Amino acid sequence: MMIWTGPLLPLAALVWPFLLAALTALPAFRGRAVRLLPFAPLPALWLAVAGVEGVTTAPGLLLGVTLGLDAARRLLMGMTAALWLIAGLAAQPMAGKPHTAVFSGFWCLTLTGNIGVFLALDVVTFYVAFAAVSLAAWFLVVHDRTEVALRAGRVYIVTALAGEVSLLVGLLIGAAAAGGVDIEGVRIALGASDAGPVAVALLVTGFGIKVGLVPLHVWLPLAHPAAPVPASAVLSGAIVKAGLFGMILFLPDGAFGSVLMALGLAGAFGAALWGLTQSNPKAVLAYSTVSQMGLMVMLVGAGGAARETVPFLALHHGFAKGALFLLVGAMLAASDRRHRMLCLAFAAAVSASVAGFPFTGGALAKAAVKPGLTDAATLALSLSSVATSIILVWFLFRLWLLPNAGKTATHWPLRLSLPVVAGGLAFAGPWLFWQSWTGHDFVYALAMKPVIDALWPVAVALPPALALLRWSLPQRPPGDLLLLLQGWGTLSIPMPDLSLRWAGGRRLFDALALAIARAERGLLRWSLSSTLLPVLVLAMLALLA
Amino acid sequence: MSALVTLLVLPLAGAIAAIALPSPVGRTAALAAIAATTGAAIVLMATVAFQGMPRLEMGGWTPPLGIVLVADGLSVALIVMTALVMASAGLAARHAFAPGTAGERAAFGFWPLMLLLWSALNVVFLSRDLFNLYVGIELLSLAAIGLVAIDGKATALAAAMRYMIFALAGSLLYLAGVVLIHAAHGTLDIDLIATRTAAAPDGLALALMTAGLMAKTALFPFHVWLPPAHAGAPAPASAMLSGLVPKASFAILLRLWFDTMPDRASDGALTLIALLGTAAVIWGSLGALAQVRLKLIVAYSTVAQIGYLFLVFPLAGGASAGVPWAAGAWTGAVFLALSHGLAKAAMFLAVGHWMAVAGSDRLSDLRGLAQLMPMTAFAFALSAVTLVGLPPSGGFTGKYLVMTAAFASGQWAWALVMGGGGLLAAAYLYRPMAVLFARGAQAGAAPPSRARQAVPLLLASASVALGIASAGPFDLLAIGRPLAAEEGL
Amino acid sequence: MTALLPVLILLTSLVPAVITFFLDQESHLLRNALSLGGAVLKVALIVVMLFAVAGGAAYETTIPLAPGLVLLLRIDALALLFVSLSATLWLLTTIYAIAYFGTQPELSRFFGFFSLCVAATTGIALSGSLISFFIFFELLTLSTWPLVAHKQDEASLKAARSYLLYALPCSAALLWAIVWLESATGPVLFTEPPDLDGLDPMSLRAIFALFILGFGMKAAIVPLHGWLPAAMAAPAPVSALLHAVAVVKAGAFGVIRVIYDVFGAARVAELGVGIPLAVLASATIIWGSLRALQQHDIKKRLAFSTVSQVSYIVLGAALAGPYGMIGGLAHLVHQGLMKITLFFCAGIYDVRAGVRSIAGLNGLGPRMPWTSTCFSLGALGMIGLPPMAGFVSKIYLGIGGLESGAPWVLAVLAASTLLNAAYFLPLLYRLWFLEPSPDATGDENAPALVVPAVIATLGALGAGVLAASAVSPLGWATLIAERGDIR
Repeated sequence: MMIWTGPLLPLAALVWPFLLAALTALPAFRGRAVRLLPFAPLPALWLAVAGVEGVTTAPGLLLGVTLGLDAARRLLMGMTAALWLIAGLAAQPMAGKPHTAVFSGFWCLTLTGNIGVFLALDVVTFYVAFAAVSLAAWFLVVHDRTEVALRAGRVYIVTALAGEVSLLVGLLIGAAAAGGVDIEGVRIALGASDAGPVAVALLVTGFGIKVGLVPLHVWLPLAHPAAPVPASAVLSGAIVKAGLFGMILFLPDGAFGSVLMALGLAGAFGAALWGLTQSNPKAVLAYSTVSQMGLMVMLVGAGGAARETVPFLALHHGFAKGALFLLVGAMLAASDRRHRMLCLAFAAAVSASVAGFPFTGGALAKAAVKPGLTDAATLALSLSSVATSIILVWFLFRLWLLPNAGKTATHWPLRLSLPVVAGGLAFAGPWLFWQSWTGHDFVYALAMKPVIDALWPVAVALPPALALLRWSLPQRPPGDLLLLLQGWGTLSIPMPDLSLRWAGGRRLFDALALAIARAERGLLRWSLSSTLLPVLVLAMLALLA
Repeated sequence: MSALVTLLVLPLAGAIAAIALPSPVGRTAALAAIAATTGAAIVLMATVAFQGMPRLEMGGWTPPLGIVLVADGLSVALIVMTALVMASAGLAARHAFAPGTAGERAAFGFWPLMLLLWSALNVVFLSRDLFNLYVGIELLSLAAIGLVAIDGKATALAAAMRYMIFALAGSLLYLAGVVLIHAAHGTLDIDLIATRTAAAPDGLALALMTAGLMAKTALFPFHVWLPPAHAGAPAPASAMLSGLVPKASFAILLRLWFDTMPDRASDGALTLIALLGTAAVIWGSLGALAQVRLKLIVAYSTVAQIGYLFLVFPLAGGASAGVPWAAGAWTGAVFLALSHGLAKAAMFLAVGHWMAVAGSDRLSDLRGLAQLMPMTAFAFALSAVTLVGLPPSGGFTGKYLVMTAAFASGQWAWALVMGGGGLLAAAYLYRPMAVLFARGAQAGAAPPSRARQAVPLLLASASVALGIASAGPFDLLAIGRPLAAEEGL
Repeated sequence: MTALLPVLILLTSLVPAVITFFLDQESHLLRNALSLGGAVLKVALIVVMLFAVAGGAAYETTIPLAPGLVLLLRIDALALLFVSLSATLWLLTTIYAIAYFGTQPELSRFFGFFSLCVAATTGIALSGSLISFFIFFELLTLSTWPLVAHKQDEASLKAARSYLLYALPCSAALLWAIVWLESATGPVLFTEPPDLDGLDPMSLRAIFALFILGFGMKAAIVPLHGWLPAAMAAPAPVSALLHAVAVVKAGAFGVIRVIYDVFGAARVAELGVGIPLAVLASATIIWGSLRALQQHDIKKRLAFSTVSQVSYIVLGAALAGPYGMIGGLAHLVHQGLMKITLFFCAGIYDVRAGVRSIAGLNGLGPRMPWTSTCFSLGALGMIGLPPMAGFVSKIYLGIGGLESGAPWVLAVLAASTLLNAAYFLPLLYRLWFLEPSPDATGDENAPALVVPAVIATLGALGAGVLAASAVSPLGWATLIAERGDIR
């Protein structure tokens, strides 16, 4: 039997990081496991760059694996692989610290899943990949093993599992309705079948948890800051995109559109506002992620052309958010003022891009989205840029307030150059793919109207943002809605034991023994026996007659 | 043909030799007689299986003038079972009644009584004549009473006394029935009576004989003599008393209701018999549950197991006769009788070994004996499997056949009795098993040799083998099966 | 020769059993050689037969008992599924048990009954008629008792008693069902559908209920499950045997046989008994998980987990559709592999680290990495996380539920997954993330204990990763369904 058919590279892109994950378990590699990380995404990156024709199948693996690429998959996978590569390099200073073998192993496993989500053409492979990216990432979250990280881990695993389950059920309904496991078929069947809405609701829940859709986002502001910086970068930049891409893959166009738009907008604005109550810059960034992802979910809900361009937006956000998290790491490692200024400057530039400042990648991404939107939605998009600008100014402020490291950490150039590369990709990426992705040429992006459209939200945002620096909001721990649940504590429900019990057994037994003995004595009495015998004869005679 | 005579004469001759010859020689003669009779039983079985039923008309006279012996499937099955139990009991008795171990009287008396008992059993199994059966069962009772009383203790004598009174009452009733039959038909030959023209006293005669035989079989409520008698006797004697003696009177009941007067059977009477059987199952089981002495538990278990046998009457007799499942029910009952005989004998022999080591048969004194004597414990467990009716044992085969008949005839209540009785048996046999298996203090005396322990194990294995290889015995039992049940399942 | 194959397979465990009983306590070498030899021979025979049966062959031996009692041994694809599971796991468990017990007393008895137990399970798997199934089923009940009671202390004897207290009444019910059915149809062979038209629907429903009562006890369906957690008093190899190789599996297998080979899926649907059974199984799944949450003893928690997991198989069978059935059959193997891993590991924690309670697991992961990795993977498989085998069963069961018009099955599976996670993940957390108590000791320098666990883990992993290939349990279950060995 053939192990696989079609091009090998997609399969290799998945198997390779998986093998590296296995390698980290070997004693020989344990000490140097971190060194393996940059190699893990290389085949995937190569695959995204080179592209591939045709479908790869591995019929014996899982329930039959099918892999393939299209434009959106290729774009997102390229971004993901590149970001993982950058983050993998950024993780190099961790070498020699405790538990890095475990960290590296699950890093590679998460990566496998993350790439698998983009490559999978069938439901089962998608589900397995999604489970891998979801659950293996737990180890990235708890890596520091501090109380904060462990608590974040608890919240993460509970929500991730809940998401996993609702996803599985939703996918099962879809597969049953489609009569097959092909993702396209499932999406079409979900739109047509009676059970479709239930499945879609479940899928929205499952993917919503991953993308941080309000109100399912509670884990995200806890988990992303708790992880080590490189892990935060991939969590916020790449891993959340798995959920987003899941929505694009599975939700029938327009299904639950208004719900998604409402929830997305709630996230886009609510998270941006709540982020202002955070003092940890990583938490601020996490809330910004919730906000940005809310925006993208809104676009998915809007459907049509807007939905088609979401990967383009995601491309920019992935690189930008990765760069910002890495810059937090760089800032933490910086000691002299010049280094810190440098960090802040780069962070400001990337932030401007995220906020959609003219000529940045972010502005381009938003411009690409707008043609497919209604006026109201366009306005919402612009207003969200206001919110984004405010929260990112707050982020820059908190970033600057980070304590000075005292002495410059090792690998400083590497630590700074990696976010710069990521930021550069965030800037350049949208330009690079502008024409092929939107069909417009550059003149469109450079015209006056889009520039103004991009400029005014930032301009509007600056005064309130600066005011906030002076009169800041009260500071809260991350977790927002979760804080409401704290009073519940641990629930314990007493349950009866259903197994048989013979409580009065002994007493019953004694009473029985006594009764038997008494009755036997009675039967022994001759009178009784001597009457019983004739009685029996007579009874028998009567019955025989 | 010669085997028929041998089976009757050899044990008698052995008994006489055991009395007449001096102690060691007499014992040897008795053992030789046991071996020879066992051989004859097997020869007879082969004869019946391969050549058909041998028939011996004593003195060449045909009935109604002469007396006839016939070996059919039922006879040889019971005879071979008897031979197995007797041989095992004999082997066990070589030690239990060795001079010096047992009292003078017991060591002397056991062998003749045992051989006499055997002879009587063979007479009952082979006779086709109601009076001959009476003689056999009378002889049987006398030998059995002797065995109960053999060690001369006061309790044993009291038990023997009580046994005797029941046995005599039963005999009297049976004899009265025989007299009535003879008066009405002028013959006592079973086959001739079967073709008689019905007469008025038939009903009364049947009722009298049945009641008498029930008392001898220890069917509830006439069972009270059995537990003290069986529990009081020495183990090899108990094995015979419990495993074999009740089967004789039960065999006569089968002959009466299926061979002699199948036409007289009425639904009411058959149901009454089975109801008494049901009562016996329940009462015997509860009684066994309430005991703290192992021998009494085993004895009460006999009371319960006998009850099963009586369920066959409504299932295969009367209106049920001639239907397809009747043969199954009848054969099932015989299977139950056979496997009970083997298993119960194995149990008593095993208990005998334990009593020799532990000095008592109280459950509390038997803790942990399974570790010391695993083979006997295993024998007990296998016997328990048969008595509970779990596969793959003879008890299961019998139970299955009877239950199938019960369902097929719509009388599923009897199937309930079979099933429930099995559960009760499990309940009362579990306690000794658990005690034996528990970790406990080791008894003082040395355990018997492996060879001696193997005897009960072989018997118990035979009772299980009866289920594993049940096709052979089933076919054997079909030979000469009463017409009422000829068309088998 | 080929007609004798089923008997030969049976004898590979029966003969060692009988000989072992008569061995001296001290003849360790001979005893171990017998046990292992029998196990290896059996696996070899099965491998040979797997190829033959995949090619379409079937082997049959009939041993006539009394009329109506047909002892029919038959090797077809379904039988092989079960027998290869039990034989493989038996081999692993034998290796494990030899190392586990070392030179403790009463081992001849233990290994004798151990082999007998497997012989009975083999008989159950190979049974081609209802009555042979029952015979071996009861043999299994009886041969398990001394194993449960093996330690001979109060707790073990109590557990053993509780086992029989459940087993015997239920087997009485089973016998009732069989006799009732066969009194109307004649002997029931699994190869030929019995003609059930002679019985009215109410009787058939009652018979079905009795069957479920009889098999449900072994399959630990609530409320007949009480014996299983109690039986945890037994040594670890016995637990492995009870939970993975033999006992609960026999019950579940019985349910499959009854539904597909006695009644037939169509009749089950017509009588309307499939869905109630599925509901019962679902209730068991949930209840077992809830109870597992409350246990503080590792093995107890695992036991309640078995209660829950085995009902997956019953659920799959009760759904009476192709997907449900394939899922149930595959889970028969999957659950066996995963659960035996967990019990092996629990045993290792017990003997090598003296840990029985969940609290004792703290920090054992780094000290006993192999054991803990196996345990973790087994637990993740139980939760149903890919790529361990559990998720495959779950997918098939879920689709089976939809296919049979029982979408609530999905809710049950979802709840069960979450509950499984709730009672397994804290264990893994303790293993890997908490600090060990200062006086904790523990190592895993016992390859004969660890290697079986590793092999079982790899099996469970392989069954999931390679699920779609023909050699996986799922592939074999699909073959069974396509071939129509079960209707």
